[in-house]
Amino acid sequence: MSEAVSEPPAEVGTFRRTMRRLLREPLGVFGLSLVILVVGAAVFADLLASAEPSRISPRDRFLPPSADHLMGTDQLGRDLFARVLHGGRIALLVAVGSTVVSLLIGIVLGLIAGYGPRWLDNILILVFDALKSFPTVMLALALVTLFGPSLTAVVVVVILVNVPGYARIIRTQTIALKSSEYVTAAQSMGASPARILRVHVLPNVVGPIVILASMDIPVVIAIEAGMSFLGLGVRPPTPSWGAILNDGFANIRESAWIVIAGGVPIILTTLGFTFLGETLRDVFDPRLKGRG
Amino acid sequence: MSRHSGPVVSRRALLSTAGAAGAAAALAPRMAVSQDGRILRVRSYSDLQIMDPAYRLSAPEGDIMRAIYASLAVNAPGDEWAWKSLGTTVLEQLDDVTIAFTLRDNIGFTDGFGQMTAEDVKFSLERIANPENESPYAGDWSALKEVEVKDTLSGLIHLKSAFAPLWTSTLPTASSVILSKAAVEAQGGKLGAEPVAQSGQYLLTEWTPKQRTVLTRNPDWAYEPGGFEEIHILPIEDPATAELGFEAGDLDYTWTAVSSIARLRDNPPAGGIVSEKPSLAYVWVGLNKDVPPFDNPNIRRAVQHAIDTETVVDAAYFGAASTSTGIIAPGLPGHRDAPLYGYDPDRAREILAEEGVSGLSVTLDILNQSERLTAAQVIQANLADVGISCEIKQNDSGTFWTLGSKEGDYWNKLQMTLNRFSMEPDPSWATAWFIPEQIGVWNWERFDSAEFGELHAQGMVETDPAKRDEIYKRAQDIMEESGCYVFLTHEVTGILHRDTVEVGLKPNGEPLFPDFKPV
Repeated sequence: MSEAVSEPPAEVGTFRRTMRRLLREPLGVFGLSLVILVVGAAVFADLLASAEPSRISPRDRFLPPSADHLMGTDQLGRDLFARVLHGGRIALLVAVGSTVVSLLIGIVLGLIAGYGPRWLDNILILVFDALKSFPTVMLALALVTLFGPSLTAVVVVVILVNVPGYARIIRTQTIALKSSEYVTAAQSMGASPARILRVHVLPNVVGPIVILASMDIPVVIAIEAGMSFLGLGVRPPTPSWGAILNDGFANIRESAWIVIAGGVPIILTTLGFTFLGETLRDVFDPRLKGRG
Repeated sequence: MSRHSGPVVSRRALLSTAGAAGAAAALAPRMAVSQDGRILRVRSYSDLQIMDPAYRLSAPEGDIMRAIYASLAVNAPGDEWAWKSLGTTVLEQLDDVTIAFTLRDNIGFTDGFGQMTAEDVKFSLERIANPENESPYAGDWSALKEVEVKDTLSGLIHLKSAFAPLWTSTLPTASSVILSKAAVEAQGGKLGAEPVAQSGQYLLTEWTPKQRTVLTRNPDWAYEPGGFEEIHILPIEDPATAELGFEAGDLDYTWTAVSSIARLRDNPPAGGIVSEKPSLAYVWVGLNKDVPPFDNPNIRRAVQHAIDTETVVDAAYFGAASTSTGIIAPGLPGHRDAPLYGYDPDRAREILAEEGVSGLSVTLDILNQSERLTAAQVIQANLADVGISCEIKQNDSGTFWTLGSKEGDYWNKLQMTLNRFSMEPDPSWATAWFIPEQIGVWNWERFDSAEFGELHAQGMVETDPAKRDEIYKRAQDIMEESGCYVFLTHEVTGILHRDTVEVGLKPNGEPLFPDFKPV
């Protein structure tokens, strides 16, 4: 036995330390502010918007922004402010929910592929690559053809798109750690594979993947919006940013406010999560700072 | 280390070349295609699927067929419903039940099928009329007894009885298209998407599904040629998308969305002319009476009372169209003054309560178009208001037009549809699709009324306009009493075309492609 078994890499800093470092970065502060704004608006949508998002009033169609309708109204006279806030709930629900589920599945499959026998690794890699090879829109169309358009279809598409990427990263890191001395030591002490993965491998591979996942949230929001724009996502009258954009596209010559109302939250959310994710990555791994 | 010995294209050089090429393309003069009088680019609302007049699925297919196959007669362009002969030198009614025809000499079929003869006329008309062939258009020739061939080019069409719609909605439509008997028999009795033995002013020379259909002037057509050398027909389902295509210079003619008419009239695109035509088409919500919960007539009645047709039409068409009272438009015999069952949500709730129904959930299938989606969302809100949850299902045109077909497997799941049929200027053309024989063909509500069928048959042979008026009013009453129908609107037709194109249109705005001409 070697005289000194190498220690696991240092654990990530505490929440307070992370926040302190995050708040030192202007882009991080900007991203965090946008994320808080978007999440807060979605959570408190009922309080912030008094109008019912699905209430139809055709006589009030295409009204410009006013005190009564902060973002104006759409072609059915629905209040766009209420629809944007409630649409934010759908976007965040899909983005956070499906990303978390993708992350959990990706971590489990990645650990199995990286630590398991070679044949199992080969099979899983084949599955990951096969899934990854499908263009997102084609995959979405195929699923919607089979099961019909729905929120569930959007979530399934996101999971199928994200899992292979997460699993591959986890697998690579697991393979690297598998031969490390502290893992070898744990094996020689009779630790079960499940315990080794849970106690020794997982804590050392999960950090980067969580940051990657946070940066994927805007991508997922774009997928949800894109599918809803194409009529493959949430069904009417459920408000969704993509559906608002579609309404805006169809009626852009009547009113530009609908496209603006649907587009601005997507832009803000994308910027917020991207800046936040990049800053978090820099905080956890300063060597990557400044790299795109 | 190896060296590049051949010519090297640097990234900067590549970018600058691409940029220069892009700028040149952007600055190049963009000419409307019709200006040189060669190519006309038009929009149709659906792609072709079948080039067989006996089994055509949509009005755009009929438009193409009348251009590529010679027919006995076609509609004449203008604001009055009129016809002109196309493949004939003689076409006249000798008495109530006899029509004489003489074909133009020297009309040839392509693909080596020889000259068009009276035998082909006999074959084509009797083929549609023959019940064994199950043509959805059999009603157009329901009065046909036989076609008598006199000689190579002439003959007599014998009817069983007087036939009121003959000169309005039978002869000028694709139901008088003449196919080559030999060609159809060689194809096994039915034509598919690829036309065979073409004979019209144009030939279908290219079909790229979902992208475009190209008609080219028929070099062997010896009579008046079509106005343009080529007609490119682009299938664009959504009229709003077509308007954008027009503004981008990709189209010379399109129907507009009804909801766009007012805006386009106020602000027509550069080089564009906007006009409006009264439409005969009819839009309605259909309820499939063979599928729960609409197998209960009281539930159907509740839905009739639940839908606020005025709001639906106002919302979908931005006030440009008015509500309808049935399937027959103003100006035609049988137009009703008012529907029987109007918007009454309280009555709808009462009926549902009497039926002990709560938490009802239904589906509404629609064509994937912005106007239809808007209308569907108002219907959804109306139904929610009386306690019925409605899921909207959007379908592309290929899927939508087969939803209620008995040959598919969806008709027994289809609950509600938001539908629109185009129309010819005779009321029988409206009722024809709802007779019992059309169940599972175009009668997706599976509305089954023997009395309605008899009225339809009476209307076909009755020539007294007053009596026809009564017949068709009663027929629509029966439709509405069944609970299967909520009549919405006849729409209006918005036309947008280039000022370099003289359009050839029927009075309701439908295109007659060979009659389009360069200005």
